[in-house]
Amino acid sequence: MNNHYAPGGRPAGWLYALACGLLIFSGLAQLPVMKRYYLADLPGLAFSADFYVTSNLHYGAAALLLGLLAWRLGLALRQTGGRWSWGPRGRWGWTLLGLLLLTGAGKALRNAGVFVWPGMMLALDLTHLGAAMAFMLTGLGVLARRGKPAGARQTALARSRP
Amino acid sequence: MAPDISRRGFLTGGLAAAAGLAVSGLALPAALAAPAGQSDQDLCTLLDLSKCIGCEACVDACRDQWQADLPDPVQPIPRSLPARVPTEDWSGRKQVRDRLTPYNFLYVEHLEVEHAGRRVELHLPRRCMHCQNAPCADLCPFGACQDEKSGVVHIDPEICLGGAKCKNVCPWHIPQRQSGVGLYLNLLPQYVGNGVMFKCHRCLPLLRKGQAPRCLAECPQQVQSIAPRSAQAAQAQALARDMAAKDGASPERWRDYVYGLEENGGTNTIYVAPLPFREINAALLKDHQAKAHKERADAQAAGRPPEPGNLGRPAMGLVKNSMGDAQNLTLALAIAPVAGLAAGLGRLFSKTRRLAGPAAAPAKDSDSQKGGQA
Repeated sequence: MNNHYAPGGRPAGWLYALACGLLIFSGLAQLPVMKRYYLADLPGLAFSADFYVTSNLHYGAAALLLGLLAWRLGLALRQTGGRWSWGPRGRWGWTLLGLLLLTGAGKALRNAGVFVWPGMMLALDLTHLGAAMAFMLTGLGVLARRGKPAGARQTALARSRP
Repeated sequence: MAPDISRRGFLTGGLAAAAGLAVSGLALPAALAAPAGQSDQDLCTLLDLSKCIGCEACVDACRDQWQADLPDPVQPIPRSLPARVPTEDWSGRKQVRDRLTPYNFLYVEHLEVEHAGRRVELHLPRRCMHCQNAPCADLCPFGACQDEKSGVVHIDPEICLGGAKCKNVCPWHIPQRQSGVGLYLNLLPQYVGNGVMFKCHRCLPLLRKGQAPRCLAECPQQVQSIAPRSAQAAQAQALARDMAAKDGASPERWRDYVYGLEENGGTNTIYVAPLPFREINAALLKDHQAKAHKERADAQAAGRPPEPGNLGRPAMGLVKNSMGDAQNLTLALAIAPVAGLAAGLGRLFSKTRRLAGPAAAPAKDSDSQKGGQA
């Protein structure tokens, strides 16, 4: 078994991070907060107050993420084992990502003109919002943990040992 | 499923329906009552502006039916922080009926339009257009703005937080905000939300009971009719051809005399007028500009902050399909995973790390710690 299988190398990880970052940013911009909290007043961010522009950005980033995940699935169907350098590590992350993809697909269909019952739409909207918040907070938690200096991590590890 | 209605059948049925409405005053024709909840086709209203005399019976009926149900705000209304978000309080101005407000879902424009060397008097009932693919409903992040199978687009006041995104994305800026009411008061009223957005729901509670919208039922001139959209579109085209011919224009120019058929991708409110909407819109813009100037001066004199936006008076310009980009980008969403899967199965870009060999193993471990996001 090859434990160091990381196809695409760093660029694939960067693309994943880019897709997730853009999705979170453009998703947050779908809430009416960018203008209210002066974020759109920051240099270069005026576009974030335009819901249509950020919606298009959300679609573009979602297409990138879908392409990456499908590429990974395709490779996984051909390869066994190995460690990926990007993507969720555990069931929690994959569950959230799965929820986001499913509810996002429902919302995209609705935006394309397919009728979705109002109750179902409410569930889709709130699940998408909740899962996105949880995904963002989990990701930030993971990054914060990784950002700790190695020495601090080892000290914390040593302290936690009996 | 609603039966497909031929033009002749529609005209016959439409006349019968109109007669029925005139007699009953309230009941929706049986043929339409079922579609209100179950049809695969949107119900569409068609307004023949050549019939409207500007009596405002529709406005009275709408206000009588719904204004008493609308909530009054808590006092004092919580001020939003940061202060950029305006507090919008119409509770002291419920009598205003010459524009859209949270307490007035329908108003009538009274215009005099210069057309072909004569002055044409025109009255236009204005309210939500009930788009077929409504951006307000599509883009509401909380599912508060909803569209029904009956073609009605409405806002659930129990869910709406009053962020006004629906007003922002609406090409006509129809929904109007009342601060100090709604769910946001139970959350963080200073930081999240700012009230509830209100607009015409085409009498949805009545429609669900098989009754006609009040503005339609109370109109003495039968300006409006309601029917499945395909039938209304056919009727609108026939009327517009007739009006174009009477106006001395080529019948091929009939689209100039219709509004709502294709605007914003198609709406469930279609207007037909005896003169081109291009000229009506020019007159509207001129009139709105004068009114806005006066109202801002009045607000200043009364010590109120001037109201932002279009002052609750929608224009009638050409409107492209707001959700057109989203519809096109859905194709990208469908193609991306197919392309990705094909690349994966073909092992494209798959060998980068494998080719590095066992010597690169420590670097890969380090790499693997950097990429994951969740």
